[in-house]
Amino acid sequence: MPSHSPETGLGPGWTEKVLPTRLECIRDPEREVVSRLRDLGYDEDHRFAVRLALEEALVNAMKHGNRMDPARRVVLAYRLSPERVEIRVRDEGAGFDPGVVPDPTRDENLQRPCGRGIMLMRSYMDEVSFVCSGQEVQMVKHRKP
Amino acid sequence: MGKEPDILHVVDRQGVKLVRIRSETILREGEVETFGRGLLALAEEPGRRVVLSFLGVHHLTSLVLGKLILARKRLAESGGELRLADIDPHIFEVFSITHLDRLFRIFEREDEAIASFSEEAEA
Repeated sequence: MPSHSPETGLGPGWTEKVLPTRLECIRDPEREVVSRLRDLGYDEDHRFAVRLALEEALVNAMKHGNRMDPARRVVLAYRLSPERVEIRVRDEGAGFDPGVVPDPTRDENLQRPCGRGIMLMRSYMDEVSFVCSGQEVQMVKHRKP
Repeated sequence: MGKEPDILHVVDRQGVKLVRIRSETILREGEVETFGRGLLALAEEPGRRVVLSFLGVHHLTSLVLGKLILARKRLAESGGELRLADIDPHIFEVFSITHLDRLFRIFEREDEAIASFSEEAEA
């Protein structure tokens, strides 16, 4: 009987996937999560929100965390229930301080082509926190009626 | 129009380049890069007026937003302009959250966006 996920040490109920640092590898786990959310009865708004936040987290991990280094991996863990969605994404990069990321909605930053991923995660999920010096993002979304 | 990659379908409408996106989601790196290159190629000719229709697109990421911003900048530098249309309500919310609805002129339908160029020229 499975007990703990090998990479994250998370307990039963969690699904863990180790992804190579290639953006095309995001699509399958993303589809799987969205499909399970549909099975659990989450509506389109919830599915859009979780899918977007998950993609942003995985893209950030690969591009900014692992700097697209194919030798580095991204570990995705998620636990889905009818009440809430929990997602964790960890990269093998140097980490970062989320407190110093510029606010992309300020006029002076509006034309910057990047820096919106964290903001979108925070907008679409109910809880977003960065741990392990920014190497891991943990997100929760509660089901709303 | 041989330079535009297949992910974009470009047609001329009343002197405006109408660009439609062939992919429902733009995620894979190759697709995002192809999308960005295709938009930038439209700025090669000075003064181009471009309408990008999101008809049938139901998902995007911030990577795509970055490509839109770069294309808008490049077109503006060459005397042209990029306007957006037919944006799904979920995707419009992304523009709104990021305040990019202030940066881009967004129209409900592509015909309105195309007409807006000629209406301004006549005014």
